[in-house]
Amino acid sequence: MADEGTSDKKFVVIDGNEVDLKPGETILHAARRIGIDIPTLCHDDRLSPAAACRLCLVEVEGARLLQPACAVPTQANMVVRTSGARVERNRRFILSLHLSDTIEDRAACEDNNPSRLHELAGIHGTAGQWPTTETPRADRPDDDNPYIQFRPDRCIACSLCTRYCDQVEAVSAITMAGRGARTTVSTADKLALTDTTCELCGGCIDVCPTGAMTEKAALAYGKPERELEKVRSTCNFCGVGCQVDLNVDREANRVVKVTSPPPGTTVNDGNLCVKGRFANDFIHHQDRLTTPLIRGADGELHEATWDEALTRAAEGLCGIRERYGPDSLAFISSSRCTVEENYLVQKMARAAFGTHNVHQCAAT
Amino acid sequence: MTNSIPEIRDADFLFVIGSNTTEAHPIIAMEMKRAVRRGARLAVADPRKIWLTEIADWTLQLRPGTDVWLLNAMAHVIVTEGLVDSAWVEANTEGFEAVAKTVQGYPPEEAEKFTGVPAETIRQVARAYATTPKAGIYYTLGITEHTTGTDNVYALSNLVLMTGHLGKRSAGMNPLRGQNNVQGANDAGATPVFYPGYQRAEDPAIRQKFAEAWGVPQSETRGLNLNEMMKKLGPGGLRGIFLMGEDIVMSEPNVGRVEEGLNGMEFLVVQDIFFNESCRYADVILPASCFAEKDGVFTNSDRRVQRVRKAVEAPGQARADWQILLELMKRAGLEQPEYAHPGEIYAEIAALTPKFRGISYQRIEREGGLQWPVETPDAPSTEYLHRGGVLRGKGLFQAVEFRPPFESADLEFPLVLSTGRTLYHYNAATQTRRSEGLSLKQPECFVEVHRRDARKLGIEDGQMVEVVSRRGQIPARAMISRQVRPGVIWMPFHFPEARTNRLTTDAGDAVTGTGEYKVCAAKLVPVAGATPEQVFPGAFAAAGAGAEG
Repeated sequence: MADEGTSDKKFVVIDGNEVDLKPGETILHAARRIGIDIPTLCHDDRLSPAAACRLCLVEVEGARLLQPACAVPTQANMVVRTSGARVERNRRFILSLHLSDTIEDRAACEDNNPSRLHELAGIHGTAGQWPTTETPRADRPDDDNPYIQFRPDRCIACSLCTRYCDQVEAVSAITMAGRGARTTVSTADKLALTDTTCELCGGCIDVCPTGAMTEKAALAYGKPERELEKVRSTCNFCGVGCQVDLNVDREANRVVKVTSPPPGTTVNDGNLCVKGRFANDFIHHQDRLTTPLIRGADGELHEATWDEALTRAAEGLCGIRERYGPDSLAFISSSRCTVEENYLVQKMARAAFGTHNVHQCAAT
Repeated sequence: MTNSIPEIRDADFLFVIGSNTTEAHPIIAMEMKRAVRRGARLAVADPRKIWLTEIADWTLQLRPGTDVWLLNAMAHVIVTEGLVDSAWVEANTEGFEAVAKTVQGYPPEEAEKFTGVPAETIRQVARAYATTPKAGIYYTLGITEHTTGTDNVYALSNLVLMTGHLGKRSAGMNPLRGQNNVQGANDAGATPVFYPGYQRAEDPAIRQKFAEAWGVPQSETRGLNLNEMMKKLGPGGLRGIFLMGEDIVMSEPNVGRVEEGLNGMEFLVVQDIFFNESCRYADVILPASCFAEKDGVFTNSDRRVQRVRKAVEAPGQARADWQILLELMKRAGLEQPEYAHPGEIYAEIAALTPKFRGISYQRIEREGGLQWPVETPDAPSTEYLHRGGVLRGKGLFQAVEFRPPFESADLEFPLVLSTGRTLYHYNAATQTRRSEGLSLKQPECFVEVHRRDARKLGIEDGQMVEVVSRRGQIPARAMISRQVRPGVIWMPFHFPEARTNRLTTDAGDAVTGTGEYKVCAAKLVPVAGATPEQVFPGAFAAAGAGAEG
């Protein structure tokens, strides 16, 4: 940043620290800049603030009420306190309020996705257990879409999912509907997601802080996410190179689901598409090739050992080189395979067989 | 891409041409949506009214194969209205005069006749592009899958060079790669003309370098590209093929001819994870591993080298591809070092290629994905290319003239067929068609037809039709669509029981050999007696049929 006359440099004071003023910056972001973490439930940097969950309320000198840090911009000489008895009492109150609106027992609530709400309640404490909210949020029981399950008993109406759908995926398939305690997440005419503009990206699952939006297949599998091991990898579909976390059940040698690393950490900024998130059935599909095969004299393919198959493959290719010369062979590699594997295929063509007839599949 | 994906959100003008970004690159499309929400202006040029046109400031629904007309007309506007960045052109480029002269012959009013895009729209888009400093071009196979693919790219790069929109954040020339590792496969030298890192195979010094590194003399004969390979199958040409992770019988254009060629082959080895269509011709099939079962790196569209990590064991006896390849090379008589891990193979690549020399697994582990070029172990990742000067010294203008596609509509085949990918499937679909959810969303092959053409041919929405070209015919369900323009039909290529590439032409670009998947002449023949069914359950088809004005 260029110095624009040091004499009139403006500051906001957060917990006694002077932070230089950036036009339009919220209290939340100014605090983060100096390493102060104000807890939030309904905030996401990819979305415009909703100030819906009230968890980020902080004290601002001169203001009668506590102010939502996610939405209030800093001003010159503003004095903010992000902790203290009043702020912390509010936090516990808000956490109790939200817990009364969802499945209060953490293990039960986290039967699939982890719950940010319960995590925060663990950190900041609550104002005691409150009676569960009586009026249920409406469901869409007929939604037979293949991937996304909405469970209204967990929803706290934070609107993260609908704002994500509006602002990031920009298809506006889901919306907040109803009023008061009946507020729920719905679609136009309560249609199934597959009958709306929904592109099944599953971003609503990713942003949900209580597991109200969840993945059908992983739910049916029955192991909560916290018991799975995350392996960071790169998506194998298009060329964006989204980073993915493969959630693995080690004992069963199974990829149970795919989640996105947190926003702001990788090239995909917390986002995934329908293929990257959901199209992983192929990994464990029964049609996978599991044994080498060799075509026999009868014209049929027969199971073989690796030793037999590799020998046959090498002999076949070498034989053609001997009979017709190296340029009667061609090697086609795959843009789906790794860099190292493509390197090895061209090395095999050029060094083992003596031809430049090598091309990767995406050439045409 | 000369820019990085995260730079898109800060662009002020986006020119998207020949890229159905929301379906083919959904996450890049999210960045585009974010830019537009922030106030960036968006121009979308595509023969179909793709989703992005809904948020676009300008929609240029050009006729398939007329890209050079459109782009030269934009250049015409920029030159004649004095919008050329002369100082930048002077300092950084060569060959401008020839282009300035050529584009004189492409006035927007004439372009309107060829492309179908109103002259005034062409002018507005050209002006907006030229006068917005952070202006980026984004394109995909709609530009390259033509017999004029190279010309199309030249015409685009002429626009970039005359406006100086290069070497800056959020301004550049950005081909979006279609597959996870297209970039990486090219980088690794899986191409007949290049060794790893784009070192030219025709250069004797480079051949010598690799001959020494690998301990084997290197052939001086030019290699065949994939398009040439497919035309030389059988006696007198290719006798044996090693095929890894590609289904040529699904994916190559004019597959009828490919199948004939395969029948004349002596020996075919297929290494894959599924029994694909090409396996029917194989002599040996080697069961391989998918991305979740092995270690390695993929290089994405913005040159980012990122790790793939083994999460689960491969099924049955299937092995990692790199292990199979090493074993096969040994048996073919080429001794290989005992690699314990792909990281060691990457080190061999890095040692042989200046562009990647500074990249290692250890660095990726520490810093996350690295964008090449990274020439030394302490050099930073390269966010965007051509910073502080064009890489080759002077950016080279290339004057191009319009040439028609290989096939045009005629009396016998009055429609133009274009092909592409949908959001819900992926290429030969060996993976996505094994996903129940995706198959539910898109169960079968369809062909988008404009309402006017459908009415003329007596075709109802959801009716079965035969799509016929000079090379073959396949069945598909007609989807009356507001996306295509009259005279144009569009099909995805994901369905083995209706292989769209039986129809496409294998005429290729003269330089790259890339097939013209985007244009061929075709006709529709309604299948009598079949009852119409909606192509998609629910609203998608209804919207396609009902919202037409």
